[in-house]
Amino acid sequence: MGKTILTAQKITKLFPGMKALDNVDFDLQAGEVHILVGENGAGKSTLAKVILGAYRQEEGEVFFEGERMEVSGTKDAIAKGIVAVYQEFTLVPYLNVAQNIFLNREHRTKLGFVNHKKMEEEAAALLKSLNCEYINVKSPVKKLSVAEQQMVEIAKALSYKPRVIIFDEPTSALSEREAESLFAQIHRLKREGIGIVYVSHRMEEFPKIGDRITVLRDGKKISTIGINDCSETELINMMVGRDVSQVYVRTDNQHSGEALRTENLSDYTGKVKGADIFVNRGEIVGIAGLVGSGRTELAQLIYGINPIKSGKVYVDGEEIIPKSPVNAVKHGIGLVSEDRKKQGLALGEAIALNTISVSLKKFFPRFFINNKKINGIAKQNVEQLRIVTTSVNKQCKYLSGGNQQKVVLAKWLNFDPQIIIFDEPTRGIDVGAKMEIYKLMDQLAAKGKAILMISSELPEVIGMSDRIYVMHEGRMVEECKRGEFTTEQIGSKMLGLGVGGKRNE
Amino acid sequence: MNSMRLRLKALPPVSWMLILIIVIFSLSSPNYLSLSNFRNILIQATPLMILAFAQTCIVLTQGTDLSLGAQVSFVTVMIVYLAKRGVPLLISMAISVILTALIGTVNGIIVAKGNILPFIATFGMQNIINSVSLLLTSGASIYFPSYIYRFIAESTFLFIPMMVWICVLVFIMVWLVLRKTKFGTNIIGLGGNREALSLAGISPVKSLIKTYAFAGFIAGIAGIITLSRVESGQPTVAVGWEFQAVAATLLGGTSLREGKGGVTGTIFGVLLITIVKNGLNIIGVRSIYQNAIIGSIVLAAIIIDAVIRIRTKE
Repeated sequence: MGKTILTAQKITKLFPGMKALDNVDFDLQAGEVHILVGENGAGKSTLAKVILGAYRQEEGEVFFEGERMEVSGTKDAIAKGIVAVYQEFTLVPYLNVAQNIFLNREHRTKLGFVNHKKMEEEAAALLKSLNCEYINVKSPVKKLSVAEQQMVEIAKALSYKPRVIIFDEPTSALSEREAESLFAQIHRLKREGIGIVYVSHRMEEFPKIGDRITVLRDGKKISTIGINDCSETELINMMVGRDVSQVYVRTDNQHSGEALRTENLSDYTGKVKGADIFVNRGEIVGIAGLVGSGRTELAQLIYGINPIKSGKVYVDGEEIIPKSPVNAVKHGIGLVSEDRKKQGLALGEAIALNTISVSLKKFFPRFFINNKKINGIAKQNVEQLRIVTTSVNKQCKYLSGGNQQKVVLAKWLNFDPQIIIFDEPTRGIDVGAKMEIYKLMDQLAAKGKAILMISSELPEVIGMSDRIYVMHEGRMVEECKRGEFTTEQIGSKMLGLGVGGKRNE
Repeated sequence: MNSMRLRLKALPPVSWMLILIIVIFSLSSPNYLSLSNFRNILIQATPLMILAFAQTCIVLTQGTDLSLGAQVSFVTVMIVYLAKRGVPLLISMAISVILTALIGTVNGIIVAKGNILPFIATFGMQNIINSVSLLLTSGASIYFPSYIYRFIAESTFLFIPMMVWICVLVFIMVWLVLRKTKFGTNIIGLGGNREALSLAGISPVKSLIKTYAFAGFIAGIAGIITLSRVESGQPTVAVGWEFQAVAATLLGGTSLREGKGGVTGTIFGVLLITIVKNGLNIIGVRSIYQNAIIGSIVLAAIIIDAVIRIRTKE
């Protein structure tokens, strides 16, 4: 292994309301694959973006070959040969493959025009070195499959003749064959002395390519270890291990009868492939799974946001066809959405109007509304949920994340649905507000509501749920009751390891 | 043979619509299929054609420039205004084209730096330019004859009027820009993925400003052609052309998303609109119905496009 080419020292990066990175050290050697691993939100991608200069860190510095890097945009990083293959694509859909690879570095003819022929030849050579000669360099990237686009992204990164490449979940869109040829490439790059930062969830890949692993959790570095110096179990423990006894409060309550059931539910995007779940009244059911496992899409099917391809949804034993959110609300289903700013709130409107928005018809069955009454209801909500605000007429955009989430909850409390789906209910909010939200969920369950909770935070799922489904690639791969599971078991199922517990029965 | 088939497939659906409509008109009127009528159609189509090339560039960036029609009227007025005050005609023309390029630059700055919706920014600009044109002429049209107009509008080369040749040159220029230059690549990138441009070190703001300036420059040329046909400065000569240009662009298969499309399709879009108008005149449909018919065709084309898009998505 070569000398150290990249060092990040004591990096701290703040996002509103949370520390995304907390005093993190990282280093990379020439000819090494350094894997960054951690739960969703642990800070992996954030660290990668700080190294690239795409994010500006509050504290700490990044050095490349002993030289301090500028913190102004990605230009410095590109100039030094640090490139990234991002998770979300950075391709222009109606430019062809060659044009995309050489964007802003176009070859020119003597007359100053773009030299398509030369660019296409070089692009074809690059793709051939990736075993992707089947990709037509003249085709607009729009016409390529997702996997092909991913290979074009990689070819583009290689065309910069980089010293350091950061791969952010590069295999999530690739088939096995394509992933293997990517690994072969990574080995070749290693031999050439290029340093590689590899961000991934897929533990089965690590022994194939990795040299060292750094585990991040909650923005903190837990450990950096050699690939052969730890077992998978130890790794999972480091990723998810947290004391979960204090934060989560659950009262034992009776479950009475089934409120929600799905049978073999699938959607058109292929993200949900035959999901079977049920939720009883008074029960909190958690769905654990990685981002992209189809959790959110499942919620959107039940709530009528996306159309159902096949399968059935039952509410109180009767089949419903959730054609739209309006329809779902009529059947007594509420959704606390993943993105409260875009989907949960009218940010420019007052708290009062937001809390009443779903239940206007309920409180005002006639034509006119009564602002005094609305304000009265909102004031009750503010007191009950301890929303920190000077007035119920304050616009929601001025509230903190935790208080915004409480307004979303107030909206549903006022409507009083029988089934509530929580999608990432505590994302980006502080611990205090988190605990209040957990308490409220517990109270709702005690009142006999059926609660379905989707979360990337494993401790939260384990701490709050009476029953847990583990979702992996669109299916439920595990179902277990409170007390029947360990963090490690669920963690490994989420990652797709030892898949089959449920399906092998 | 295979590549021929691919090429036929690449033609926008509007070209088939065009053929169908020509057949319908030929059957309805014996006078329709004549060489002189087609020459006529080409002449009628030319100013809008040039303007639609400008609009296509803007639509490719996911915008619309509603000031383009006003820019054409402004050029006819400005050239006559300067010429009446003793500025040589060719210099007046050059100044006017520079002015529209500047108007485009201002549009671009407002849209790109101010992050204002293009149709709002350029709608404001449309009103300002229209007012200036009306002020300069006191609302009247000002006659100003010149042999230069006759050269552009009436002299022919290979039986085709000079202005049509100018239109061909503008087409080649815009096509080359879009297909063969970095600037054109950036235009397509603006509509497709601005993030990708930034990451590659291209400033989306600068590229957008350049695109609006380029559109203004082309609108200036459209203004000169228009002046050559009407031989007078007319502050309202091109009212509504910007919308016809948008319609022609969309008919030609350029999409308001993702930077899909190009100027070749726009030719068919403009021809379709012009041929429908011309044909309706020949078979004697009253002009009050004509706009409704053209409107319906545009809506039909856009709905068909949307349906195809939704189908192919699933």
